[in-house]
Amino acid sequence: MDNDVTNYSVIGRIGEGAHGLVFKARHIPTGREVALKKILIKNLEDGIPVNVMREIKALQLLRCKYIIKLYNMFPRGMSLVLVLEYMCSGLWDMLHHTQQELTLPRVKTYAQMLLKGTRYMHAHYVMHRDLKPANLLINHEGILKIADLGLARLYWPDGGRPYSHQVATRWYRAPELLYGARYYTERVDLWAVGCILAELITKQALFAGESDIEQLAIVLQHLGTPTEETWPGHSALPDFHKITFPASSPTPWPELLPGVEPDAVHLVKSFIKYDADKRISAKEALTHQWFYNRPAPASLENMPKPMMNKLK
Amino acid sequence: MFSTSSQRKFWTFVDETELARLREKHNLNYIAKHGTHIDEYQRYNFFLSPDEERLLLKQYELHLKDFCKRFSPPMPKGVVGTAFHYFKRFYLYNSTMDYHPKEILATCVYLACKVEEFNVSIGQFVANIKGDRDKASDIILNNELLLMQQLNYHLTIHNPFRPVEGFLIDIKTRCSLANPERLRGGIDEFLDKVFLTDACLLYAPSQIALAAVLHAASKEQENLDSYVTDMLFRDAGQDKLAILIEAVRKIRSLVKMVESPAREKVRLIEKKLDRCRNQENNPDSEIYKRRMRELLDEDDLPHTGSGRMSLDTSGVSQVLSPSAS
Repeated sequence: MDNDVTNYSVIGRIGEGAHGLVFKARHIPTGREVALKKILIKNLEDGIPVNVMREIKALQLLRCKYIIKLYNMFPRGMSLVLVLEYMCSGLWDMLHHTQQELTLPRVKTYAQMLLKGTRYMHAHYVMHRDLKPANLLINHEGILKIADLGLARLYWPDGGRPYSHQVATRWYRAPELLYGARYYTERVDLWAVGCILAELITKQALFAGESDIEQLAIVLQHLGTPTEETWPGHSALPDFHKITFPASSPTPWPELLPGVEPDAVHLVKSFIKYDADKRISAKEALTHQWFYNRPAPASLENMPKPMMNKLK
Repeated sequence: MFSTSSQRKFWTFVDETELARLREKHNLNYIAKHGTHIDEYQRYNFFLSPDEERLLLKQYELHLKDFCKRFSPPMPKGVVGTAFHYFKRFYLYNSTMDYHPKEILATCVYLACKVEEFNVSIGQFVANIKGDRDKASDIILNNELLLMQQLNYHLTIHNPFRPVEGFLIDIKTRCSLANPERLRGGIDEFLDKVFLTDACLLYAPSQIALAAVLHAASKEQENLDSYVTDMLFRDAGQDKLAILIEAVRKIRSLVKMVESPAREKVRLIEKKLDRCRNQENNPDSEIYKRRMRELLDEDDLPHTGSGRMSLDTSGVSQVLSPSAS
């Protein structure tokens, strides 16, 4: 039987998730390196957490080169172990430790990988809801893959069902979520993609709020006070009247992204829009002029190959 | 999509013979494992026969339907459909003598609530159960992982409800049928019953949905045959149409044959089950209680020691599925 712990030799611990630990291990029959994500269930009042179910469902549905693979699962005591593709590094690490590796051609390639993964998810009606550098992992070949689909869920294109607004890490959270929207779309992911893209280019978070309120204040200050025209329906959002900010006019984009070429600014701007319906889709973004400008996106051979044996 | 789903690949079976074969297999396995001390010709005096297991499960499917219907807050039908799929799948590979259906039933519904995003806490859930609720919630939570494992972690279920909506929209736009909404009563009634049959283990959700729509139409003295032949299957070819017609005919006949098992018979089977069930999985038995304590203790082992790390200790998968050899 493949789904049994005796088939794996644990090499070490690589991280800690919300519900348990993550180990690096080798699948003995194939020699393949894997990540074992162990979810402790016994202390959880409601049993296996819904977000673990969501992650399993999403990963079983999505089979894409740019989305992490779930190979298997098995129970272990009162725990459930997910066997995931092993990824040795991630964008967060690169942004914080090996920034100099992130040259413009490579940034373009990472952006394409992220967009292809996002396009695939959205084509399968899955929204991720927590895209951020820490969830974009890189394997030994240098391929970026979307991971941590614990908040991912299926959506219905016709809307009609409320979702939790307590999703997405603050810096990458779309403004409708910051205002407590319960009805939103997969386009919250596109806002996050815009933030990540800007961060890859400038090596700085685009909107780095210390609190939810500050996050909103920063976004409003940069994009200007929303109007019915720039953001139809915003005043009807649940938390809109809970707080008011001084009126401000938008900061010109070249000031927000100093020294960044106009086509790159244009692409970022196409994601960072109040009106979710106006945000560019992942599919469209992939044909944006920026990817055709020089320098061209790096080929896979020229992408950084993270070290295989990094352990925490 | 159903066509690329695990439901189609792993959980849609060729025919009823195949289902019967699987069910008989685990029945025989159980008896072979637990009945060595009983004379061969005496065995079914003590153990349940495959037919008795079927009858018992039919009764519990009625309980399942009833439980979902009374559930508060009101349960979306997708949850009910998914719970039925889980229950049927579980007992394709497990004997009722190993796992009592009343315990698996509640676990199936609880898991279906989570998977279908009908978010109720365990407290809210067991408020719908009569009797000792703390015990019920322990049983459900202890069985959750077992159930997932027995489902091979195939959690996503394609129910016939969405295809029904699709057909209704299509009929409204392409057919001359007056007021298609009046079909709903007949459709719901049909789908209610279809889950008491094996149809969802044999046919695609869209085939079941179409059978429901056609059944409802004929109840309304309407005929949608030309919708099927001239519109849905116009370009599909005769062979595909023939397969579909046979599927619809079979699904409708399965539904027609649904009947409740005789009370007295079920009562006797339950009595028999009390004696022949696997005590290791009986929450009231000492051996079960001891096993659960051991399971908890094992997880308390430190995960990070010096030197080599291990996920934990051995022997657990055996505990979780004692029927597996």
